[in-house]
Amino acid sequence: MNRAGFAFGLAFGFLIAAARLNDYNVIHNMLLLREPDVYLLMGSAVMTAMVLLGVLRARSWRTLNGPLDITPARLERKHVAGSVIFGVGWAIAGTCPGPALAMTVGGGLLGLIVVAGLFLGIALRDAIAMRTAAGTARTNVRVAAAASG
Amino acid sequence: MPTYLLPDRVPWFVVGPLIGLVVAGVFAVNNRAFGISGGYVQALALWRGRATEPWRVWSLVGLLAGALLASLLRGGPAPNLSYGALGQALPLAGIVPVLLAAGVAMGYGARWAGGCTSGHGLCGSAILSRASFAATGTFMATAIAVTLALHALTGGGL
Repeated sequence: MNRAGFAFGLAFGFLIAAARLNDYNVIHNMLLLREPDVYLLMGSAVMTAMVLLGVLRARSWRTLNGPLDITPARLERKHVAGSVIFGVGWAIAGTCPGPALAMTVGGGLLGLIVVAGLFLGIALRDAIAMRTAAGTARTNVRVAAAASG
Repeated sequence: MPTYLLPDRVPWFVVGPLIGLVVAGVFAVNNRAFGISGGYVQALALWRGRATEPWRVWSLVGLLAGALLASLLRGGPAPNLSYGALGQALPLAGIVPVLLAAGVAMGYGARWAGGCTSGHGLCGSAILSRASFAATGTFMATAIAVTLALHALTGGGL
């Protein structure tokens, strides 16, 4: 799985850079609705993957990690709430997690600032989620104590 | 202009289907969605001493190598501090905090939403996940609205 991860990452990084998705102006022009290229790129990628996965599922494909399981996650509030915040950052930086890494090795040193921010943002979200979970647990203990007392 | 082995911008109809092949390939081999923010999460976990999915960290190493390869086929990376139109609109001292804040927003949002442009936009959409359709629709609409607002507020500068 690690070798496959590296190989698929290699292909993905090459393709991102080949299409210049690691260029601020390309993403900015996409989001300004000035050119359809990146939308068409994403759409054709999704369509291709959808067809291939349909074929694999029809053939009861086995992965290195058991039978192919492509059961989607249930829609929750977090998917929308988190994506609003993600979208704001995406619009300002004109890049997202994969292309930001590709930007740095392409020579765009400011991509390192975005990458640093990404790690900080993930750590911040984890810290807040942990605190919320701890708070909920404390409340539950109090409620249980009050109920039994 | 010297001629390089890789065109300046390979068209969408070549890159798009190949990225689709990568997305399907990761599902076919590792049985997982190929989300890049998930790779960041695992890299952070590794730094803290425990990565539950080390293959995701390897995928980031591969991504860096692949992008470097593309750069080498175009004459090699030339380290620079430019940042497209945003770099022209802001001085360096201004762009650094802006990019850091934008990165924090993306990291926070992707962690909360359980994925980013790759995990939800490509992989989740390809398996017809309603959660991913909602996430993708939301971050696309938000990013377009914010970009158009910035364009208007800067008098077309951005």
